[in-house]
Amino acid sequence: MKNMNIKKVVIIITITLTGALAGILYFNSSAKPIRRDIVIKARQYSYEPNRMEVNVGDTLYIKLLALDVMHGFYLEGYDIDAEIPANLSNFKVRKPSDGFNWKDTNEIVIIVTRGGKFRYRCSHTCGTMHPFMQGEMIVHPNHLFNGGVGAVIGFVFGLLWLIYKKNKKGHDNE
Amino acid sequence: MNKMEKESGIKIPMDVKNGKNTDLLTKFPLLKRILKARSFQFIIILPNLFVFYVIILAGIIGSPVGNRNIAIVFIWILWWFLLIAIMVPFASRVWCTMCPLPFFGDLFQRMAFIKVRLGKTAYLRNKMFGLNKKWPKYLTNIWIQNIGFLTLCTFSAVLVTRPFVTSIVLGLMLLLGTVMSMIWKLRSFCSYICPVSGFLSLYSSAATMELRRIDNDVCLKCKDKGCYKGNEKGYGCPWSEYMGTMERNNYCGLCTECLKTCPNDNIGLNTRSFASETIIKGYDESWKGFIMLALAMAYSVILLGTNGTIKNWANAPETGNWGGFFIYAAILWSSALVVVPAVFYFFAYLSKLITKSTQSVKEIFKTFSYILVPLGLLAWIAFSFPLIFVNGSYIISVISDPLGWGWNLFGTAGFKWQPLVPDYLGYVQLILLLTGLGFAISRGYRVSLNIFKDEHTALMGLLPMAGFALLVTLAFLTFFIG
Repeated sequence: MKNMNIKKVVIIITITLTGALAGILYFNSSAKPIRRDIVIKARQYSYEPNRMEVNVGDTLYIKLLALDVMHGFYLEGYDIDAEIPANLSNFKVRKPSDGFNWKDTNEIVIIVTRGGKFRYRCSHTCGTMHPFMQGEMIVHPNHLFNGGVGAVIGFVFGLLWLIYKKNKKGHDNE
Repeated sequence: MNKMEKESGIKIPMDVKNGKNTDLLTKFPLLKRILKARSFQFIIILPNLFVFYVIILAGIIGSPVGNRNIAIVFIWILWWFLLIAIMVPFASRVWCTMCPLPFFGDLFQRMAFIKVRLGKTAYLRNKMFGLNKKWPKYLTNIWIQNIGFLTLCTFSAVLVTRPFVTSIVLGLMLLLGTVMSMIWKLRSFCSYICPVSGFLSLYSSAATMELRRIDNDVCLKCKDKGCYKGNEKGYGCPWSEYMGTMERNNYCGLCTECLKTCPNDNIGLNTRSFASETIIKGYDESWKGFIMLALAMAYSVILLGTNGTIKNWANAPETGNWGGFFIYAAILWSSALVVVPAVFYFFAYLSKLITKSTQSVKEIFKTFSYILVPLGLLAWIAFSFPLIFVNGSYIISVISDPLGWGWNLFGTAGFKWQPLVPDYLGYVQLILLLTGLGFAISRGYRVSLNIFKDEHTALMGLLPMAGFALLVTLAFLTFFIG
């Protein structure tokens, strides 16, 4: 009985991982790296653009503007945190992993190295909805999402197939 | 076949009835002694009551900035996460055991913190104070909780960001719970009004813990029925549940009175497998599932999403965009009450069509709506992980400065906001969604067997529902990592 359950788990995991791999391979893309100049405007409680789509290998030249009050710009996965004073083109930037070594600048340069979905969040309290102020940078290929879609579909097929096999075995035994 | 099975026409799997469960009270005698102590519930509510009052006070006199006020950070980040991700899935309605909201109501009805008063109040053998009116029969469902929860959630952008609003709502709930206890018998507020109780009732049916009778025969022979009527050891069930027939967690508030009153020591606290109660009793419960699912989607867009226009609509008291707010509210309500149920009804119709079943679509729709429990609960947990992992660092700073007044009680007030492992949250969310999907399909098959009886037809009937669960999971996956 225990062996049967382990066998089922192994089958499910195999089918799910196969689905994930299929998803990753099917949606794989290899766009030529380019330079992208982006101006991100922050205002209570969103960014414009609120969604950026870029590719692995791209170089991003990002200027930050706060249109009403001081905002922050914390980019997950890229070790970047900025404080953007209202209506000024210069802002302070730091690497959170380095602590509080703020530097003045008017542009952040990022070489995109990792695929996935990375949120940029306001890191400076800016008002009531501050904790929910965020944008997202989608870096293609987004293997986690593509693989996730494949995994979910594979998982469903795996489960249904196991139920089917169990039923069939029951009938055969009868 | 027991009473619940006769009423619902659904066979309860044997591993749910008995067999695989472990009684924690037999395994841990100290736990049994603690839970059987009359002072148990009072002792765990008391500190909670204190925290509750600090939170209400902080909301009123503290900083209006949510992430600098303990009222918001403790309730909507810490408590919410503990509730939905830990308490509900693993310990059922354990929150109800320690909830301070009914404290003054219970105190009024019993005129005692711990002591038991014997007497006669309706069917109870306890002396209860107040009018003790019977709750209207036509309201003995969770529709009010459904509508109340949806109403509160419509204002969630305000509720979860304004300490003052959070305090007022909590204060009003405490007041309402107390006043209702003066008029209606037992825990009418908890059973039929409390908006939190509504979703706890639905999702607790998936919990890996249950309070149940140990031996059916002992209950059948029991003349005392102390668990229901009360006796000198304790009060009759405040939730009006009779342990002799109780088969579901939904309406058991884990107050542990039955542990004290059972004259035969026939109550166990069992562990069990996840999502093992697969029964939906009425449309009120089905719709609770739809509302929760729709709200999880809506919050993923409004709170975790990036669209500023929708945030402005939901945040109308600040932006003044009431026109947008009404559009947002109309979309939210119609999605939760009409669109999602209609889509599910379509899949139930497909199920009937494929199986050529004689069962009505309505019955298939209602019975299959159980799949919304594991699907919705895991989606809510997946939604809640970013709340604690991204904004959890506010807890560290707010502990030192709970009112946002510039205090530094424990030296952590200056702790900079720092998301915790944000890069890995997507993986956690994917695994959680897969888990919900897996349970929705495997339990869906169990439900399907109850509807369609033979295995082949059950599998065919399950296919559309698996399709529905797949679409929902893909939608959440897109919100979270797409």
